[in-house]
Amino acid sequence: MKFLLSVILIALLSAVAENFFSWWSIAVVSFIVAVFFSQKPGKSFLSGFCGVAVFWLVACLMHDMVNDHILSIRMAVLFHLPSYGLFIAVTVLIGGLVGGLSAWAGSLIRRRA
Amino acid sequence: MASSRRISPLGVLVLIIVTIVVYILDKPPVLLGIPAIGRLLDPVNGCWASAEPVNKNFSADLKFPVTHNASVWFDKRMVPHIHADNDHDLYFLEGYIHAYFRLWQMDMETRAAAGRVSEVIGTKTLEYDRKQRRKGMVCGAENSLKVMEADPRTKAMMDAYTEGVNLFITSLNYRAYPLEYKLIGFSPESWTNLRTALLMKYMADDLTGSTDDIALTYLRDYLPKEEFDLLYPERIQGASPVIPAGTVFDKPSLAIPVAPPDSIAFPHFNAADFGEKREDGKGSNNWAISGARTASGAAILCNDPHLGLNLPSLWYEVQLQAPGMNVYGASLPGAPGVVIGFNDSLTWGLTNNYRDVKDFYLIKPVAGDKNKYWFAGKQLEFTKRIEHIYVKGKPEVIDTIDYTIHGPVTYEAQNAKDGGLRKPLAMCWMGHKGTNELLAVYLLNRAANYNQFVDAILNFQCPAQNMAYADRSGNIALWTQGQFVNEWKDQGRFVMNGSDSATLWGQLIPMRENPHVLNPQQGFVSSANQVTTDSTYPYNYTNSGWVNLRAWRINQLLAFSDKKFTIQDMFKMQQDTHSMLAGGTVGNMFKFLDSSIQYGDSKYLDSLNKCSWNCNLDPESKAASFYQVWWAFFYRDAWEPKLKNVPYDQYPLQERTMQLMTKEVEDTVHHTGVMKDADFFKKAANKSYKEAVDSIHILEKTIGTDWYKVKNTSVTHLAKLPAFSFDHLKIGGWGNTINAAKGNHGPSWRMVVQMGKEIEAYGVYPGGQSGNPGSKYYADFLPQWVDGKYNKLDFLPNTDKQNDSTIKYVWNVQGLKG
Repeated sequence: MKFLLSVILIALLSAVAENFFSWWSIAVVSFIVAVFFSQKPGKSFLSGFCGVAVFWLVACLMHDMVNDHILSIRMAVLFHLPSYGLFIAVTVLIGGLVGGLSAWAGSLIRRRA
Repeated sequence: MASSRRISPLGVLVLIIVTIVVYILDKPPVLLGIPAIGRLLDPVNGCWASAEPVNKNFSADLKFPVTHNASVWFDKRMVPHIHADNDHDLYFLEGYIHAYFRLWQMDMETRAAAGRVSEVIGTKTLEYDRKQRRKGMVCGAENSLKVMEADPRTKAMMDAYTEGVNLFITSLNYRAYPLEYKLIGFSPESWTNLRTALLMKYMADDLTGSTDDIALTYLRDYLPKEEFDLLYPERIQGASPVIPAGTVFDKPSLAIPVAPPDSIAFPHFNAADFGEKREDGKGSNNWAISGARTASGAAILCNDPHLGLNLPSLWYEVQLQAPGMNVYGASLPGAPGVVIGFNDSLTWGLTNNYRDVKDFYLIKPVAGDKNKYWFAGKQLEFTKRIEHIYVKGKPEVIDTIDYTIHGPVTYEAQNAKDGGLRKPLAMCWMGHKGTNELLAVYLLNRAANYNQFVDAILNFQCPAQNMAYADRSGNIALWTQGQFVNEWKDQGRFVMNGSDSATLWGQLIPMRENPHVLNPQQGFVSSANQVTTDSTYPYNYTNSGWVNLRAWRINQLLAFSDKKFTIQDMFKMQQDTHSMLAGGTVGNMFKFLDSSIQYGDSKYLDSLNKCSWNCNLDPESKAASFYQVWWAFFYRDAWEPKLKNVPYDQYPLQERTMQLMTKEVEDTVHHTGVMKDADFFKKAANKSYKEAVDSIHILEKTIGTDWYKVKNTSVTHLAKLPAFSFDHLKIGGWGNTINAAKGNHGPSWRMVVQMGKEIEAYGVYPGGQSGNPGSKYYADFLPQWVDGKYNKLDFLPNTDKQNDSTIKYVWNVQGLKG
C-alpha cells in the first residue's frame, strides 16, 4: 500500500513540478517522497523508478501519438536506435533511473546509522 | 533517545553521487562531448516538446505591439498570407513568423556569416570562424548596415522586422526552444539589424565568394601562353551570352582605363606557393518568354536558383500585403521582403551573374616592421582589426587582422588551404562595401511596371544577379545587375601587385550602363550563369565561374521551336535532364577508344551506343551512370598528367574539354603547334574506360547502378544530422543539365509564373514551411520536388477579408499600439 502510494505520489508530484521547474525536479520529488515514506532502499528505488517512469511514459505517449511518431522516429535515428518504440523506452529508462536513484538516496538518508 | 534519527553517511554519499549524475545529465561538461541527455529526453520540456500534433490548430487571436489590426491567413501548405495596414506592421509580422517557424536556422546562418559558430559548437569550427573573420564578413555587414540604416525605408523595414523576431524570442521558454537548441545546447539571443545585414553578406559570400583568381594565377605561370589561352579562353567558342549577341550597347560614359604593363600589374609565383583544393561553384537558371510565343498570349517567367540543398530550407514562402503592395514568393528567413517572386503587376527571377567582383593583391610587408606594408613607394600602416572568437569550453581566440588599402589580408602562410596562396594576400571584394540590396527588395516588391523595376534593381549591388523580368503587359527583360568596377583588360583576373597604385580598383560603372535587354526580337530572355555579353560590350570584365551547358540547352529548347509554350512545357523544361555534354562527347570517347579493347562486359559500351541512349540523365538510367562515371574518370585522366596539382575543379571547363576533343580543334591545335601531345585524349579514354568498368562493377554489387543511386542527391540538415536529412532522392539530372540536382546542391526554388489577366503561379522547394524536424510541415514539399511536381501558389487579393477555400488557419492580430 505504502509502495503504491509513493509511486502514485512521485508520478503526480513530478508532473506538477515539471510544469514549473526544470526536468531535474523529478529527482527532487523522488528524493523527498522517499525521505517521507521511509521504505527499504530496494523498494524505495523501485517506487522512484516506477513513479517517474510511469509519468514519463504517459507524457511521451501523449506527445507521440498525436505526432504520428514523426519526432520519435527521427530521434531514434539520431540515437542509432532501430525504432521509435525503443527511443520511448530509452527516455522512460533514463527518467526511471534518475527517479529510482534519487528515491534510493532519500531512503538511505533516512536510515539509522 | 538511542533511536533518534541521524543522517546516514552512506545516504549522503549516494545523494552526492546522484546529484553529480543528474548534473551531468543536465549540463554535461564540454569535454565529454555528449548532449544533455536528461534535459533533452525530458518529455515535458525536452525534445518531446517539439513533437507537433499533426492536426495542430494554428489559428489564434493575438495581441501584438503593432499599430493596426492585421490578419495572417495560413493556407493548407502553411504558407502565410500576411495582410497589414502599414509597412511597420507588415514587416513586424514577417519577422515574427520567420522566427516562429525558422528561428534556429536564422540564428545559425547569421552566426555562420559572422564566424560565430565555435561559440556554440566548439573547437571543431574554429578554422571556419577564422576564415569568415579574415574574409571581412562582419566588417562588410557593418558597412552595409550603415547604408541600410541611412535610408529611412530600409531602416523602418529592418527595425520592424527585428522587433517582430525579438517578440517571438522573448516569448520563448526552454520548453518552446526549437529542437536544435536543445540538441546542441545553447539559447537564442536577441535579433539585431546587423544580423539581417550579415544574412545579406552570407548570400553575397555564397554567390560571389569563390573566385578563380588564385588558380588562374598559378596556371598562367605554369602553362605556355598559347596553351593557357586555348584551355582557358575568356569567352568560350560558341558561347550564347546572357544578353543576346547583337544587342546594341550605349556608349560608355566612363573612359575605359588602359592596362598597366604586365610586369607592374601581376606578380609571379612558384607552384609550391599554392595550397590545394577549393569548392566548386553554384548555378541557376531563369528565362522569360514573351506573350507572342506562349499559348495563352501572356508572358511566362521561370526561375530555379541552384543553391545548397538544406533543411530547414533557405527559402520560406510568403505573401505580403500592405497598401500599395501585394507580393508573393520566396523570402529568406532573417531578412524582410520577398526575394524572388511576383506581385500583381510583374514577376522576377534571379540567377548568379559571376562577373568577378573579388580580387586578390599580393602585399609586400616592410621588412622588419610587422605594422607596415609598401604601397606606391611609401610605407603604409596596417589598420588592425581585432577579432574575438569565443570557443565553447575553451578560452577565447584572438585574431588580429591587418586591413590594407585594398581590404583585409585574408590568406597568410597559415591559411593556405582551399587553393590559397602561401603569401600575404589582401582581398578586395564588392561584399566589403556598404550596399543596400534590401532597398532593391523593398522597391521591387512594390514595382508596378518596367521603369519601377529598373529603379528598384539599380539598388542591388552585390551579389550581382541576372534578373529576368516579365509583366502583365507582355514585356520581358533581363538585367545583368550589380555594382561593377571600370576595369582595365584582365584587371583582377589574376592575383595583382598590391604595392602599385595602377592596380587599385577604379571608378564604379554607373549601374544604368549594366548590360540589359528589353523585349528582344527572339521573343525570350534566359540566363544560366554563362558569360554576360558578346564582345561588343564596351566595359571590361572578367569571369568568376561562367558555365555554358545549361545555357545552350535552354536556348536550344526556346530558340529552335515554333511551338507556343504553355505552363506545362515550362514544368517539363525545368525537369529536363538532357546532357549536352554527353551528346557532345560520347561519340568522341568511343572514337578515342582502341577498337581492340576487351575489358569487362560489352553491355556497358552498348548502353552508350548513340542509338540506344538519348543522353538524358534520368533517375533510373544505367547508361547515364556509366557515362557519368566514365566521363569523370576521362576528364581527370585527360588533364591530370598535364595540369598536375591543379585542383580538379580548376581544369578547363568540361564544355571546353568537349570542344577540344573534336576534330577541328585537334587540327588547329596541331597546326599551331600548341598541345603537341594531343593524343592524351586517346590515352585518357582507354585508361578511364577500364576505371569506369571497374567502378560500375563495384556499384552493381553494392548500391546498384541507377543514376539516382550513384549520384545520391541529398537534402541535408544544416547541422549535418543524417537523422534530419534525406538522401538518395530519386531525381535525375546533374549540375550541367537544366534540372541541376547534384549531390547536395540543386534547384532550391522552382517557380513558373504566367502573367496573364489572371496570374497563374506555381512553385516548389525541397523542404517545407516549418523548420521543426518534429513537424509534418518539415519536408512535406520534398516528394513533389523530387517528382517534378508543383504547388499552385495561392495569390490572394489585397483585401481585409478572404474567402479562399484553401485557407486553413487564421491569426487575428490586434494592434496594441493603435
